[in-house]
Amino acid sequence: MKTKILALILGIVAVLVVSGTTFAHHGTAAYDTKNIVTVKGTMTDFRFINPHVQLFFDVKNDKGEVENWQAELTAPNKLARAGWDKHTLKAGDSITASGYVSKGDAHTMWINKLIGPDGEALHLFEE
Amino acid sequence: MLGIFAALSLTGALFAQTPAQPANPATAPAKAASAPAPAHDLTGVWMMRNPPGSNRGFTNYTFTKDPPELTPWAEAKFKEAKASNGGQFTLKTTNDPVLTKCDPPGVPRVYFHPYPFEFVHTPKYTLMLYEYDHTVRRIYTDGRPIPKDPDLLWMGTSVGHWDGDTTLVVDTVGFNDKTWLDRLGHPHSDQLHVTERFRRVDKDHLELDITMEDPKALAKPWTTTFYYQLRPNWELGEISCSGDYLDFSNFEK
Repeated sequence: MKTKILALILGIVAVLVVSGTTFAHHGTAAYDTKNIVTVKGTMTDFRFINPHVQLFFDVKNDKGEVENWQAELTAPNKLARAGWDKHTLKAGDSITASGYVSKGDAHTMWINKLIGPDGEALHLFEE
Repeated sequence: MLGIFAALSLTGALFAQTPAQPANPATAPAKAASAPAPAHDLTGVWMMRNPPGSNRGFTNYTFTKDPPELTPWAEAKFKEAKASNGGQFTLKTTNDPVLTKCDPPGVPRVYFHPYPFEFVHTPKYTLMLYEYDHTVRRIYTDGRPIPKDPDLLWMGTSVGHWDGDTTLVVDTVGFNDKTWLDRLGHPHSDQLHVTERFRRVDKDHLELDITMEDPKALAKPWTTTFYYQLRPNWELGEISCSGDYLDFSNFEK
């Protein structure tokens, strides 16, 4: 089942929140930062590595086909200080990821929000 | 392979974004309740915070709102810089030496990396350990003078002394001219002299005044202030630029 949602309002809010002082000064060439996409998937691999933690998961689309997604979080050191470790996620876990999708690959995401297998949002910042 | 460098920059962006959250202790104004700063002691892990009451985004890529006054020599060199951080970029469109070659960041560019650093004091020198790429600076506090004819190094040669009980003054000279002052690519020469004043205003808060002087590159000194918060529960981890950043295999499907 495809649960890909184009959350335009969220996207606008996100752009407003971070505009000017942040994204305007950063290369965002690879990601469409104007839209936030949400997908629900099943983890196939979790790599707690520098420079950015990598998630691999499968998403079933409307046609019942399996899409192989890849997504990034921030640095593992930062996530460790937010309570993560290399076992926080594992293959088979159900997740819901929201974020920016790569302009070059529709199945690659920079995650802004992540719901873990227990249905709770995971902390993505070390603060 | 997607734009890893864009993603790296997004890290900085997200870091900068956090101050917008009111609950974020990194952005809370310095509290009067903080204990006084101990004497001659900066020990601990420190993380950048925004100035009290401000979300000063430009700290992510350069030092001041207005550009520095460059000499003609530096203006010409600055035109060759293809910043990684000025908007759209990929590996092919930037010549940022940190991103494309893993060159050491130099001083003060090292402070733009959104990772903490740690002070370790010894009787004759103070170590600064930056989480990013194991970067280490050794600041001699044994009374030796600033070297007059220093070797040219990535992170320079540093000597320090205490000004009063809570301010460590660090003079650094002897830089090669391969690093950028900031993420925009403002250049410096081997005549760069960086003065850092680490002012521990109370137990939990550190303010860093930076002065860059370079008669070959800067028409007048360039100054700025950075703000840090003590993170007593944090430990520095490993971040290696070479490998971690330059080996893309982990990011390919």
